[in-house]
Amino acid sequence: MTNSNSNHRNLASTIRRYFLATLSVGMSLETSLFLARHNFEGVGFPIFLFGMALIAWYEGTGPAIFALLLSSIAFNYYFTAPIHTLYVTRSEIPYYVMFVLFASLVTWFSAVRRRVERDLTQSRDELAKEVVERTQQASLLDLSHDSIFVRDNNDIINYWNRGARELYGWNSEEAIGRTSHNLLQTVFPLPLDEINAELKQTGRWEGELMHTKSDGSRVSVSSRWSLRRDELGKPTAILETNNDISTQKRREEEIQSLNAELANWSAELEAANRELEAFAYSVSHDLRAPLRHMIGFAELLQKRVSGTLDDKSSRYLAMVLESAQRMGELIDDLLTFSRIGRAEAKMTSVSLDQIVKEVLSEARMETEGRNISWQISSLPCCHGDPSMLKLVLMNLISNAIKFTRQREQAMIEIGNSHGSPHEVVVFVRDNGAGFDMKYVHKLFGVFQRLHHADTFEGTGIGLATVQRIVHRHGGTVRAEGAMDQGATFYISLPKS
Amino acid sequence: MSNVGRILIVEDDPKDVELTITALEEYNLANEVIVTRDGEEALDYLYSRGKYASRPNDLPAVMLLDLKLPKVDGLEVLRQVKSDENLKLVPVVVLTSSREEKDLISSYRLGVNAYVVKPVDFHEFVNAIKELGVFWAIINAVPPGSVRK
Repeated sequence: MTNSNSNHRNLASTIRRYFLATLSVGMSLETSLFLARHNFEGVGFPIFLFGMALIAWYEGTGPAIFALLLSSIAFNYYFTAPIHTLYVTRSEIPYYVMFVLFASLVTWFSAVRRRVERDLTQSRDELAKEVVERTQQASLLDLSHDSIFVRDNNDIINYWNRGARELYGWNSEEAIGRTSHNLLQTVFPLPLDEINAELKQTGRWEGELMHTKSDGSRVSVSSRWSLRRDELGKPTAILETNNDISTQKRREEEIQSLNAELANWSAELEAANRELEAFAYSVSHDLRAPLRHMIGFAELLQKRVSGTLDDKSSRYLAMVLESAQRMGELIDDLLTFSRIGRAEAKMTSVSLDQIVKEVLSEARMETEGRNISWQISSLPCCHGDPSMLKLVLMNLISNAIKFTRQREQAMIEIGNSHGSPHEVVVFVRDNGAGFDMKYVHKLFGVFQRLHHADTFEGTGIGLATVQRIVHRHGGTVRAEGAMDQGATFYISLPKS
Repeated sequence: MSNVGRILIVEDDPKDVELTITALEEYNLANEVIVTRDGEEALDYLYSRGKYASRPNDLPAVMLLDLKLPKVDGLEVLRQVKSDENLKLVPVVVLTSSREEKDLISSYRLGVNAYVVKPVDFHEFVNAIKELGVFWAIINAVPPGSVRK
């Protein structure tokens, strides 16, 4: 339908154009005849030319040729002798040929002129369209927060967006026409030749640059360059997009310096640890030796003078011995405690049942002659270092034995209670001396004791050791108790 | 107890030496005790050189070796003794204050025969020395070349 419609329209237009050509020739003829009748000689010629020029201008080549043909016939019939015939007398031939030539020439000129004008108009329209398009693009670029500018092959800036103005401080009038690297005092991370080579090869380049703003301050930017080429592939311009990364850079530097500091600290810590290790070693070796001598010679003395000393002197000597021995215990316990921190844990699946069995058999000496009712449930397996966990249970169980000493009927319960799905919770409960919950926070500290030394002996390191081992396993410890009503110690350990 | 072997004590602390000898005396094990005060002297004795150059070339029944010694330390003495074809027959007991695991491991790596931590308690110390003396100087069949009197 559309096709036939447009055919129709074309046909109508063609008919109209040829009709107008005919009409123009007719009117030229009428005007010429009218003027001739009023004795104006020789005006037919230009009037016909004028009509044809009009047709050639407005209706195109086809109607123009048609008009030329009609005009030639009409001119021949009415204006060349013999008039009112299509014959031309010999003398009139040059006049007639002149007319036809002139008419053709005018028609041709008019057509060419018309075509040139149409081409020009078309170019102008295209240009206007492109200008609109470019302006739109430029204003879009202007919306960007990034700083964007365009420079030509000689690095002369020819576009400068709002972001660039905001970042560097120059407005576009100041920036356009300047050489970008001079204006911004660009510091390149590598030779410019290499950058340009990459740009030429791949069409883009990315990197970090240092620029100087209009106020003289420096700014680090992450820069992206894109090469624009014309239809022949010749580079015409470079679009440069820059993002201020000074803050980011500063943070990175901060992180780096923090990391360096951390490494420093860690090295210091390591050195401190080594020192501590050396200290523990010398404690174990150097402090124990004089102690051994004190005890040794005091005992030898005791043996030699036994029976000859008065009671007070004997007691003093005994107290020297006792204190030295206690010091020995303290040193040994401290060393054990410090070893836990340094020793490497050998993690494996541990049967807590087995460990409890071992501990109980080793504690037989302490329980001899005591009336203790044991209630021991089966314990699950957990993940840990067997020798360390043995130390934990040894401490808890011997504490329970020790603090129930004053009970006629001591009751000690070892069992497990529910914790989270990933952990095993074991408790040791006794009906012994207990403790005041007010001091529960002191219970696991080194050298913290909640009982007097003459009631319950001890160094105050046992529970600290327990806590340290359990923490190294990623578990937790807690205690519940009341004065004279026993205590319960809970430890949680990772499940195997 | 006539058949007590010669005991070589390598110990720099005179008090420890005195206590050790006292303990050995208590059980009549001290009839031949040689005391050297550092690692170098111990090696001089074993190789019969320096001030021991004129001693008869025989080996002790046991060497009680402290680890922390002046000049040449105990582990070095142990290393030299155990890498010498002749000397490695001498039983070496490390007798030290150190409970450090690394000392224990190093000593066994070097081929020590026993490792004893000196107990702080005097009775225990006497017991340890007694048992060491009785075992190494009396019970243990010594390799040929060492002295029994």
